[in-house]
Amino acid sequence: MDILTQLWQIICHLLEESGFSKLSWENYVMVGISFVLMYLAIKKQFEPLLLLPIAFGMCLVNLFPGIMGLPTTEMLTEAEMLAKHLDPSTYTTTVYNGVTYYNHTEYGGLFYYLYQGVKLGIYPPLIFLGIGCMTDFGPLIANPKSFILGAAAQIGIFLTFIIATALGIFTPSEAASIAIIGGADGPTAIFVTTKLAPQLLGPIAVAAYSYMALVPIIQPPIMRALTTKKERSIVMGQLRPVSKLERILFPIIVVVLVAILLPDAAPLVGMLMLGNLFKESGVVDRINKTAQNELMNIITIFLGVTVGATATGKVFLTLQTAGIIALGLFAFCLATACGVLFGKLMCFFTHGKVNPLIGSAGVSAVPMAARISQKVGQEENPGNFLLMHAMGPNVAGVIGSAVAAGVLLSVIKPG
Amino acid sequence: MNDMMQAFILLLAGFLVVFTVLILLIVTVTLYSKIIRSMQDAGNKKKKAVSEKTDEDVKHQEVRSLSREEIEDNDDNIPGEVIAVIAAAVDAYYGEKPHRIKAVKRERSARSAWARAGAMQNTRPF
Repeated sequence: MDILTQLWQIICHLLEESGFSKLSWENYVMVGISFVLMYLAIKKQFEPLLLLPIAFGMCLVNLFPGIMGLPTTEMLTEAEMLAKHLDPSTYTTTVYNGVTYYNHTEYGGLFYYLYQGVKLGIYPPLIFLGIGCMTDFGPLIANPKSFILGAAAQIGIFLTFIIATALGIFTPSEAASIAIIGGADGPTAIFVTTKLAPQLLGPIAVAAYSYMALVPIIQPPIMRALTTKKERSIVMGQLRPVSKLERILFPIIVVVLVAILLPDAAPLVGMLMLGNLFKESGVVDRINKTAQNELMNIITIFLGVTVGATATGKVFLTLQTAGIIALGLFAFCLATACGVLFGKLMCFFTHGKVNPLIGSAGVSAVPMAARISQKVGQEENPGNFLLMHAMGPNVAGVIGSAVAAGVLLSVIKPG
Repeated sequence: MNDMMQAFILLLAGFLVVFTVLILLIVTVTLYSKIIRSMQDAGNKKKKAVSEKTDEDVKHQEVRSLSREEIEDNDDNIPGEVIAVIAAAVDAYYGEKPHRIKAVKRERSARSAWARAGAMQNTRPF
């Protein structure tokens, strides 16, 4: 009989320790959402490199919240230390009410430590380093006017900031973090949010990466609605070849200008341009390959799982999150629309030499947004190749969103 | 109301800063591109002038066929066939550009080709 009682007690203890008794309904809903995201990443291949680790991190933290657990310090008496088979002589002590306590530290969860790279703003600039190694700024150097389209797409950020503030449910720093989703640049959104509103990191990161993944669905209707068939059919002239010297000087000049004018954007733009200098100089081939492959992949895994791990049920399933997702979508659509409208303006001033469709690529989302410009342009004229022309505004958008982030960080105080 | 005022000011400041920085970049990129291209054009013109001059020099030179004995009469005793192959390779590389082989000399190296390749591999800077 004693054996049965003990067996029952063990089973009860295991059940008490298991997720069945500790998890709330919100956790299960989040696990369901993570399954949907995994499906989108694997089956539909929506930004799988990011969406898959994010979804898995989300799943894991909702099943085992301790994986994001903070390190704790317990004060134990000597007797308690000995009971735990710990050597008191190796611990620091605290004397309280005449009793000596030993400070026994319990380490945090695995993701807590990996998350420090996000929290301290280390991962986003490192991702930018890898992006810089992979980016060809040639189309932008060949046609510097593309910078205007990269700037135009950032209007969505600032207009969304006004609207989010006007709603009255977000503080200015939260509104700024939400608005940056309009830049369609995941690392920039994370960088700004960790500095201005870290409590919103989960929903903002998930929204930013989801919209980046949904570029092929969100952008084309806006592009078609704002342009005429004739405008979409415009064939643009071939870009001039860019010399190696121009390519090498570009990152140096950009970083000098941006870092002097807007120091807050320096970590992002600086690392982007360092990566590009690795690529264009051609003398550090091994570093270039490491930055764009191994380093980028490692950071992507850490960033993905830990950002996903911030989306716990209690934080995510709120009206505030719904507001963030709606405003993020609005910001993204607005950025696309502003880019296309500026493209139309350029088309008008150049007497029809610029196809307005390349304006939508001014939102970062490299190179997906440029591919969409190409795709929509080819629907009207199969012989039209807009890809290289759209890459100009596309990479200008990366610089533009980093500059916009710098403006937000320098003006708004966290809180 | 205070927040809205701040938001509106930020909107204007944001437009202004983003556009100013990017327009500044347009101006800078356009300017330095122009300078580099004009420098490169000037360099190309100079090269073209030199190459035209060399072309003229070659045209004015007497073209004379060498006999097999003359070719094989060299310090390194390089066979005539080897010199013919080297000449053909040089001709294939330069194509239409004027060129002239002045001498063919055997390279004297203390290291074998494999040893040199190994040394280069090991001493390549990080």
